[in-house]
Amino acid sequence: MLICVGSVILSTLITRQPAAAQPAASRIVYGLTLLPSGFDPHINASSELGIPLRSVYDTLVYRDPITKDFVAGLAERWEISPDGLLYTFYLRRDVRFHDGEPFDAYAVAANLDRITNPETRSQKAVFLLGTFERYIVTDAYTIQLALKAPYAPLLDSLAQVYLGIASPKALQAYSSDLYQLHQVGTGPYQMVEFIPGDYILLRRNPEYRWAPAFYLPDNPSPVEEIEFRFFTDPATRAPALESGAAHIMGELAPLDALALNRRDDMTLLPQPIPGMPLQFLFNTAKAPTDRLDVRRAIITATDRTAIIDSVFQQLSPVAYGPLAAASPFYEAQIKQFYPYNREVARQALSDLGYTDNDGDRILDLNGAPLRLIVIVPTWGNAPQVAQRLQSQWRDQGIDAELRQVPNLAGLLAAVQSGDYHLVAFNDFGADPSLLNTFYLTDGRNNFMRVSNANLDQWLMQATQTNDPAERQNFYTGVQGLIMDQALILPIRDYVNLNAYSKRVGGLTFDAYGWFPLLANLTFNADE
Amino acid sequence: MLRFAVRRMAGVFVTLWLAATLTFVALRLAPGDAITLQLTLSGATDSQIAARRAALGLDAPLAEQYLGMWQGILRGDLGVSLVNGRPVAVIIGEQLGATLALAVGALCVGVVLGVGLGAGAALGQPVVRQVCEGVIVLLLATPIYWLGTLAIYLFAVWLGWLPSVSSGNELRALLLPCGVLGISLSGSLGQVTAASLREVQQATFVQTARAKGLPARLIVWRHMLRANSSVLISLIGLQGGFLIGGAVITEALFTRRGIGQLVLAAVNGRDYPVVQGVVLLSAAAYALLSVAADILAAWNDARLREG
Repeated sequence: MLICVGSVILSTLITRQPAAAQPAASRIVYGLTLLPSGFDPHINASSELGIPLRSVYDTLVYRDPITKDFVAGLAERWEISPDGLLYTFYLRRDVRFHDGEPFDAYAVAANLDRITNPETRSQKAVFLLGTFERYIVTDAYTIQLALKAPYAPLLDSLAQVYLGIASPKALQAYSSDLYQLHQVGTGPYQMVEFIPGDYILLRRNPEYRWAPAFYLPDNPSPVEEIEFRFFTDPATRAPALESGAAHIMGELAPLDALALNRRDDMTLLPQPIPGMPLQFLFNTAKAPTDRLDVRRAIITATDRTAIIDSVFQQLSPVAYGPLAAASPFYEAQIKQFYPYNREVARQALSDLGYTDNDGDRILDLNGAPLRLIVIVPTWGNAPQVAQRLQSQWRDQGIDAELRQVPNLAGLLAAVQSGDYHLVAFNDFGADPSLLNTFYLTDGRNNFMRVSNANLDQWLMQATQTNDPAERQNFYTGVQGLIMDQALILPIRDYVNLNAYSKRVGGLTFDAYGWFPLLANLTFNADE
Repeated sequence: MLRFAVRRMAGVFVTLWLAATLTFVALRLAPGDAITLQLTLSGATDSQIAARRAALGLDAPLAEQYLGMWQGILRGDLGVSLVNGRPVAVIIGEQLGATLALAVGALCVGVVLGVGLGAGAALGQPVVRQVCEGVIVLLLATPIYWLGTLAIYLFAVWLGWLPSVSSGNELRALLLPCGVLGISLSGSLGQVTAASLREVQQATFVQTARAKGLPARLIVWRHMLRANSSVLISLIGLQGGFLIGGAVITEALFTRRGIGQLVLAAVNGRDYPVVQGVVLLSAAAYALLSVAADILAAWNDARLREG
């Protein structure tokens, strides 16, 4: 007992306790599902950091959550030179940071300086700037961004939280490693406290008058304080909602989501995420998936609807191509490729010479069984999907060996070895230029080992032109070509399963799908 | 006694050197490094990634990196995180209090419950003995993850008595995580206590005490448990490893900050300095704890000092 008492006293002494401020009446807990090691949007790359920070920072432009069009943010308007090399932003004059400092072109410049400084070691923001070369402050409220080469995704980059504009005074006051604990933006919520590994506390910014068009103009009952906590273990998320320890939670397991949806006091919100769906990328450099007809037969032999039903409880749409249906420039015609048909698949493999010669129910060609090595990461329900694939394919004479990898490092190492036929992967983002690193011949993540001149040319041109109609043409071609060449086996569009208690309402997400519009949340005091 | 203590302390330094070296090797053998992982999906080119790795010394020969690590450790500098640039000592310091509170609390629960169950299993009436033996086996076979999930549903969701989220170090926040980790710990402590008590029961000094007509309670408390304490103290010293492993799971289950969550993220992100720092700290704590336990046991039992 003495040791028990001692431990409590000791821990109280050595642990910094949060200030014992009276919490606001309308305070809720929002569950985060990853514990990133860094929370500075200019430095770190995790999607998770954007969940709280999207509402701490404003960006020069925004994407409308529904239309995905670009709308005014801190820049009330902008111009792009005909050659696509100079972007001029005309800034709002009525904006102040949470620390009272005025927002102007010099603040934007200070942020760009920090992001591009090699010592910042930015993991995402600096690369989002693409071909950015320098800025020119033409007056206190006008700034130009000059590029080395046309870069169409720039507006999309500037709309992301990683390029959120921070208070230059705060950036100066704290060293690069400490700023993440004291972040200051211009957004509808301000960071009050951040205890690493424990929680982040945001409080509503009552001075916020420069909201983009899609924020509620007059929220009758906003949430005053939001505490973000980390629910890294999927099994803890539903109990946290049920016990009232959290009021909003994402990344729920499909069965938990269905169970919560049956409760009167919970609402389920499946939120589609734009980007690359969960898919299996074919290695086109290794037999037998180096043969186009084999790849086509494998896709045709796969009953994706059955997988969606059993693994995702019908809460995710079937994916048909390299871009999710929620992505800008998605081409719906892609759905016509490779409808599930066992007989057609069987016949195609038979035409290629595959037969079961030794009676083991696995097809053979020249004495070699039709055997596929599949690299399966442990996240995103990939193991469950891979097991269904294995079982479906076995019924049709295709043997699959599943090789699980525990993390991204393991996956990259497995891919580097070249000893695989398929690898499961997905990625997030609104601009389809995220396909570049995967499908360009010299792309860093060319897991398919594909080299196609048309694909290279169209992807590059789509990245360089600012004309939406031209971009649509290129990306329609890219999506069609990828599926015609059967480079991937798409499985499901990523859907984030969120649930929230009746204590809150109005949960909506921005154009990137992950980041809630906290200013639109309403608090229900009666619940 | 002093020679014994000095000999054991020398062992601590060997343990620390081994722990640091093995961690260094294991981390370099594991695929990928922090920079490659951070930048793979960022759109960075190969040359940009190579430049970043070079700036952090990750492309230096392994011998050079190894020497650099030891130079830092000997200066008392654990380096900075490769992910967020913060000093490792500060990062660990932030999480240490929460894990210490969890570990010490769990140890208390484990020792009280374990000794109680062990005594019941060795010395109780036949019914008590059977129940205690059954509970010990059940605890040994129960995964901590399952026990924790059950506790959350029972005490937080259904009964609503305790929070499922363990925030801070107040008693209410610590009860569930310390209880779960401690109960998991008590199985092995109970098993050893029971075995040791059964052995002591046959010892001549106990039989003499019985023959002298001492009351049973006095024999147990004054003679048997005292004779058993050396074994128990050593065993408690050895539970450091279990506590650290259990903390990883317990912290995740109860959404609790701490070293376990920190090291898990650092291993996945190949944040070498953070992993290295945590391993060194754990090894030091573990080694010192077990040396303290040995010295205590030797002080308690002169025969052990000879070894």
